[in-house]
Amino acid sequence: SISTSAASELDPEELQKEQHARSVLREKFLRCLFAMTNKQVYFNLHEKVKVEATFGASDIDVLNFQVSDLHTPIGVQKEALIRSRDVISCHFDV
Amino acid sequence: MPGDWHLLGPLEWTRYVNKEVKVTAGKDVERCGWLLTVDPVSASLVLLDFKADGQTSVDLVMGHAVKEVQVLQEPDEKTLNRLQTSFVPVRSCSLDS
Repeated sequence: SISTSAASELDPEELQKEQHARSVLREKFLRCLFAMTNKQVYFNLHEKVKVEATFGASDIDVLNFQVSDLHTPIGVQKEALIRSRDVISCHFDV
Repeated sequence: MPGDWHLLGPLEWTRYVNKEVKVTAGKDVERCGWLLTVDPVSASLVLLDFKADGQTSVDLVMGHAVKEVQVLQEPDEKTLNRLQTSFVPVRSCSLDS
């Protein structure tokens, strides 16, 4: 996981600036995750494995993605969790 | 790009936001797009590509897989405007304002 603050040893003003930047970035990311809900998402996994699924949700640490109708090379999994460590990138359209 | 991407921190990541970037990840994955944001928890990047038909294509590149992030260009006014209004609900504004 990411260290809590790179600026923690700096002055309070710098820390506040960092926290502000953190909140702006996180809010935009959460809104993007929200927009992914119920969308068809294409996952690019390691070893060139590509799967697609309907996106459900992510946990707060972005460690797992909950998806439905996961199309895998050996069949369709109705409900599944994808470990984010196995994912390189994913793609969807809005 | 100085150091590991996931170690840069919010202030450094913010310098890349709203710019067009090329991200290299995993062994051979390359994605280009306008950087909407970087998740401060996972260091993952959200890249947008605005299509001519009005659709937006979104790429999420996981922070742990990132090898390199290269800035390609600065946004023009129209692109900046689209970036700032992407995913923001019409009736609410950013929590920050």
